[in-house]
Amino acid sequence: MAIELSGVRYRYAGASKAALRSIDLRLEPGCVLGVVGANESGKTTLCLVAGGFAPGVVGGRLEGSARIDGVETTSIPTHALAQHCGLLFQNAATQLSNTTATVFEEVGFGPCNLGLAVPDVIERVWWALKAVGIEDLAPRDPARLSGGQGQLVALASVLALRPPYLILDEPTSELDPAGTALVGDALVRVAAETGAGIVLVEHKTEVLARIADEVIVLAEGSVAIAGPAAAVLRDPILAELGVEPPARVALERDVRAAGLDWPAALAEALA
Amino acid sequence: MSGLERRSDHPAPAASAGANADSGSSGSFSAGNRSTRAGSTQSDPSIARSSVPSVPSSSGRSAAPSIELEGVSFSYPDGTCALENINLRIDPGELVAIVGQNGSGKSTLTRHLNGLLRPTTGRVLLDGRDVRGLHVARLAERVGLAFQNPDRQLFAGRVSAEVAFGPRNLGLRGAELDALVRAALDAVGLSAEAASNPYDLGFSRRKLLSLASVLAMRTPILVLDEPTTGQDARGAARVRAVVAAASEEGRTVIAISHDMRFVAECFRRVVVMRAGRVVLDGTPDVVFGEATWPELRAAYLESPFAALAGARLGLGATPSESSFVAALGQRARNG
Amino acid sequence: MSLASVASGPGLPEYVTRRPGGFYRSTNPSTKLAVAALEVVAAFVVPGWPGPLLVLGAVLATALAARRLRGLAVVALAASPIVGSILLINLFLLPGASDPIARLGPFAPTWSGLWFGLQTAARLFAFSAAIALVYLTTAVDDLLADLARRGLGRRVIFVIGAAVQTVPRTIERAGEIVDAQRARGMDTEGQFWQRARGVVPLAAPVVFGALTEVEERTMALEARAFSAPGRQTLLRIPADGALDRVLRWGAVLALVALVGLRISGRLA
Repeated sequence: MAIELSGVRYRYAGASKAALRSIDLRLEPGCVLGVVGANESGKTTLCLVAGGFAPGVVGGRLEGSARIDGVETTSIPTHALAQHCGLLFQNAATQLSNTTATVFEEVGFGPCNLGLAVPDVIERVWWALKAVGIEDLAPRDPARLSGGQGQLVALASVLALRPPYLILDEPTSELDPAGTALVGDALVRVAAETGAGIVLVEHKTEVLARIADEVIVLAEGSVAIAGPAAAVLRDPILAELGVEPPARVALERDVRAAGLDWPAALAEALA
Repeated sequence: MSGLERRSDHPAPAASAGANADSGSSGSFSAGNRSTRAGSTQSDPSIARSSVPSVPSSSGRSAAPSIELEGVSFSYPDGTCALENINLRIDPGELVAIVGQNGSGKSTLTRHLNGLLRPTTGRVLLDGRDVRGLHVARLAERVGLAFQNPDRQLFAGRVSAEVAFGPRNLGLRGAELDALVRAALDAVGLSAEAASNPYDLGFSRRKLLSLASVLAMRTPILVLDEPTTGQDARGAARVRAVVAAASEEGRTVIAISHDMRFVAECFRRVVVMRAGRVVLDGTPDVVFGEATWPELRAAYLESPFAALAGARLGLGATPSESSFVAALGQRARNG
Repeated sequence: MSLASVASGPGLPEYVTRRPGGFYRSTNPSTKLAVAALEVVAAFVVPGWPGPLLVLGAVLATALAARRLRGLAVVALAASPIVGSILLINLFLLPGASDPIARLGPFAPTWSGLWFGLQTAARLFAFSAAIALVYLTTAVDDLLADLARRGLGRRVIFVIGAAVQTVPRTIERAGEIVDAQRARGMDTEGQFWQRARGVVPLAAPVVFGALTEVEERTMALEARAFSAPGRQTLLRIPADGALDRVLRWGAVLALVALVGLRISGRLA
């Protein structure tokens, strides 16, 4: 029971070089896996491949094996993908269905598409709204939300499908620090309550420091380093790979570079 | 307007592209020989203002103007009040960061700086003169605004053409225009992509492209809307370098940001907004210092980690990493 | 028993189950469509004055009762250039007319021309008013929900919904694009020829944005199980009472009858 990528190599249709060159990764249920890397290192492509959308919806050529719970993603019919893996894309505005009058119905769009009974839909919608903390947005018109609110609604919409795995591509990009913290907390809760396995692509390594169990760093389509979050995020190679380490790590690095000791008081207090 | 004299930080920069102002005052951003005037604000007179004598300006046209919002309130047509009685003055050459929760009015405020939005009440003053009658296109000569989403403006088939759009609108042509475009692309590290199609660049570099297209306009006041959002480490480093270079040239740089580290590291004045009002206004030392943490929290913000760490160790105000290291070093030397 | 109980299932919030109120606004959307279809057909099929006048009368009366008269006035204003030109054409150029009102140089407006022109104008007003009335008394979401209930495929529904949303969204995005280009010195407040130069910098981002959006939206829809087989659950179910059904079927039958009568030549 896992999402497993083995020896994955992927090239978009019509592209001259492979976007992913050699990916091995494993995501267990209940685990939060952080993905970082410089822009254009393949993070979004990784999300699409892991979720079965590449090559399924997007086309292109996949070599190697991408499996969700033992089933190759290429053999999962497109319409069933959403039930295996919830995928949240970067641009929140394009993820609204534009066919619903209220956020409540928008979040219910997925469950309704699946034909669930009305009481089930209602239950899932409220659960998803509560998980993201946006119950008060329920009566609002989805077309009139701000960028940040739209992102939260899109997240709730994917949660409402209760997929066993969640893949989120920069879900906090439009959010302020408070909103970012909210999403981080929500994801931890979801992983705990539903046992979902979560892949989280983020530039904000702070978030990963707080909630990720493991982190992989992508560079030019390959996994450069992988391991427990705390260890990877302290690795000095992050800066070379174009990733900004969390503030604490950066500060410690600067202190040591100046020839000073990292104060023990800090190390304990902020451990 | 306050009684403080208006003086720019540096001698007026030369008009040609890329010229660097007085190199003697370049260097670190920590407190020192640069003016860190906090500007006037009538919203909270208790905020400490530090005022350091500044270098007198030579009164050339190319000196950055001061820009001021005087009693500005703004409501959208549907009635939502986005700004409430803002009194904010930014002097030439200042490095100001505007922070606040989403919806606190930051974007609305910056759009008043170049005339895209006009106040419902109050005035916007450029060098003391009301800008009410000026078209946005005219104001664009003095105030350049780089938008958060680069895709809202990219239209040209080539990167160089995209960057040339702004200065061309301002009447520049020929060799001078080419030089400006090249300098701007250099500044953001996109020189190699001058002939590429903007949409062949990734998001990070498209954002740098939109920054370059505003830099090329050589406006004395530069306003950046979330310049580091969505950027990876290299892109963010570029942005920081651009901000530093612009400031060195004597330009006024104003940025909206959620990234407190970027703010503490690169800016000398922080304006905190909440619900359409300015609630804090001062240097990073003051705004991120322990005394104001409750206010920051009320505005749904938090100090950068360096400030928290410094407070924990009793090092005084250390909002930026460099100031933290400096303070720690100082303590180590003092034994 | 009735759809009302099904629609307000346990726990659906009132802003989802709330039906619009007011005369004709609370009528089922499909009923309104059927009535509009009847009115449109009647305006053209029934010869002479009775057709358009009856239809206009019915539409105006309904609009008045539904308090949407002002909206109709706007529609009338919008239609008047076309209607006015057709009136003029008929007035001056009706073939075979031989009863001039006056001679104005080479032009000879005729009484039959005036008569026919006015009639045609009335028909056109009736046509546009009937359609406008549906638009003025029905929310798009309710219409789509009703069509979904009647089995219209979810793809068609999505296309209609997205198309309707596209206009305001594009306008909004265009507004942002205009702002961004103005901030780069493009003059939108100056003379016309300066503004004309701004077409490409304004149009291109809109087009590019729309195109890149298509792929993203497709993926986003798939990620929400859009193409899952089977019937979609419906949360919003517009009311469809006995009166609605009677009115709807009555309108359809009347429409069929009218067309039949016309084809068979029974209508004078």
